[in-house]
Amino acid sequence: MRSLLKIAAVCAATLSLAACATITSAPAGDYKVASDYTVTLGRQWSDMSAAIMGKPKKVRMLSIDGVFLNRLYLVDGLAPGEFIVKAASKDKPTPVYHSGMSPTELVEFVSDSTSALGYDRVETSHLRPASISGTDGIRFDVAAQTPEGLDIAGTGMVVERAGKLYVNLYLAPKEHYYDAYLPEVEKVFASARFS
Amino acid sequence: MRRLARVAVAAAALASSATAYAAEPIPEFRPHNIRPDVHTDEGGLWATSDEVEQQIKASSELDHDAQLTGYVREVACKVAFDYCNEIRVYVLDLPFFNAAMAPNGGMQVWSGLLLRVDNEAQLAFALGHETTHFVRNHSILAWRKAKARTSVAMVVSLVAGGAGASILGNLVYLGIAASLFSFTREEEADADRYGLQRAQEAGYDPAQGVNVFRSLQAEVAASDFDKVRKEDARTSIFDDHPNTAARLAAIQEEVKTLPEGGKLEKERYRAMIRPHLGDWLKDDLRRKDFGESLHLIDHLLEQGEDLGVLQFYKGEAYRLRRKNGDLELAQAAYALAIAQPDAPAAAWRQLADVEQSLGHADKAKTNFEAYLAKAPDADDRWLVEASLKKLSAGEHS
Repeated sequence: MRSLLKIAAVCAATLSLAACATITSAPAGDYKVASDYTVTLGRQWSDMSAAIMGKPKKVRMLSIDGVFLNRLYLVDGLAPGEFIVKAASKDKPTPVYHSGMSPTELVEFVSDSTSALGYDRVETSHLRPASISGTDGIRFDVAAQTPEGLDIAGTGMVVERAGKLYVNLYLAPKEHYYDAYLPEVEKVFASARFS
Repeated sequence: MRRLARVAVAAAALASSATAYAAEPIPEFRPHNIRPDVHTDEGGLWATSDEVEQQIKASSELDHDAQLTGYVREVACKVAFDYCNEIRVYVLDLPFFNAAMAPNGGMQVWSGLLLRVDNEAQLAFALGHETTHFVRNHSILAWRKAKARTSVAMVVSLVAGGAGASILGNLVYLGIAASLFSFTREEEADADRYGLQRAQEAGYDPAQGVNVFRSLQAEVAASDFDKVRKEDARTSIFDDHPNTAARLAAIQEEVKTLPEGGKLEKERYRAMIRPHLGDWLKDDLRRKDFGESLHLIDHLLEQGEDLGVLQFYKGEAYRLRRKNGDLELAQAAYALAIAQPDAPAAAWRQLADVEQSLGHADKAKTNFEAYLAKAPDADDRWLVEASLKKLSAGEHS
């Protein structure tokens, strides 16, 4: 019994160390998502981008309290054929951005990508106009659940510019965490700009 | 961590008790209402099953439609006969053909199965199959066979899996735990045979069991993916099933030994799943195996009901697949959908979007306006109004 627990503890420690090794600080101030896409963080976040499964090169993931409690995805302009979530195998494809998607299809792309991240019962609502540096886009809210049944709230934003798709997406448990950092996230969204 | 400790206790009970109790005889049919002692290997299996069942109760996949769950339970009871009070049914909204029976009587029925059986008789066969696993003690039989083959490594992998579960997600944990309850080919064949008999004794047409496998085989053959077609099996947390062709052949032989005829209850069954068709098809499309999804939708369309909903999702499958010519196919399916009284309002918006992409501005304008008339409070009203403005200004996309 004791040896079984010891093995389990070693496994757990190994997994958590592997995760810790990839986290860096994202201090308050400008955060370059890409060479021409920048946001301003109002406080220090942890940059957990390197821990994303498959490490998609255009996706950044920031968190304050850990990825289960809040996560902010900032996605550099996706070209047609690119994705937010990398497919684990050929027969389990994930949503891909295409040129010529309608506005509702762009929101659907984020919603389906959220499902592909492992969330269930993902729904979007409250679609509204948004813009980054004068380029029109769409804001929307997200509701989802973790597989364990925890209610998740979120808000997202998509903007197409020169044939590329820029995405911001914030997800956190509905209880406490979503509201706690929403003002900061709103400021980050409002600060998004192309240079 | 508390979950890990509880699983470790159950796993340790399994590991330590297996040798001591391996010789204990297993009855051909389980005695009624007996919970095995926790210090036995079977007691350990039950404890682990209890843990998994608690996870299911909290799971986001659990379907909360009490009427649907009540109906599935009613059919399960018909084929369980006097074991009815020992079985608990959970409907999970998971888009794969699957059902599962835990050793403690917890039965999972996935929405992908409910979407793919045509009538109550087919459901009765599937639930008769699952009930047989419980009644015939398949879990403990399978465990002891596996134990004889593999040693304690399997138990350790369960505990390690439990540790990682908080990181890797609930389904991974359930999958690892489920490996404890996987059945051998012999037990699956036994469950098919007794499942047919139970369905027939409950008054259902046993030949419907054959149709379940035929449909499954045809859908797998339509998959977009070579791997799926070659494996001849659906995504399942229980991966030790005999392949579909072998099971179909065996069932065809078994059906010949049973009295012909019996009830189907097709209308009653469809009425029960009708409110869920849209949501389940939407889930199915998220798998992105459009070959299978289109085959499934065509199969449902052949039954001549719910044409508006089904044509809408056929259009959605083509729109999402995006192969050459798919926009035109989507347009045709949406057009058929809006001619039906049960078409969802979104069918008009999707049709208009496709028509706008294809350069049919007048048609797009008409259908955007029809959408707004049918869904005046739609969340995307401002987007549709913007599209109408563009169309009026002569911009087509």
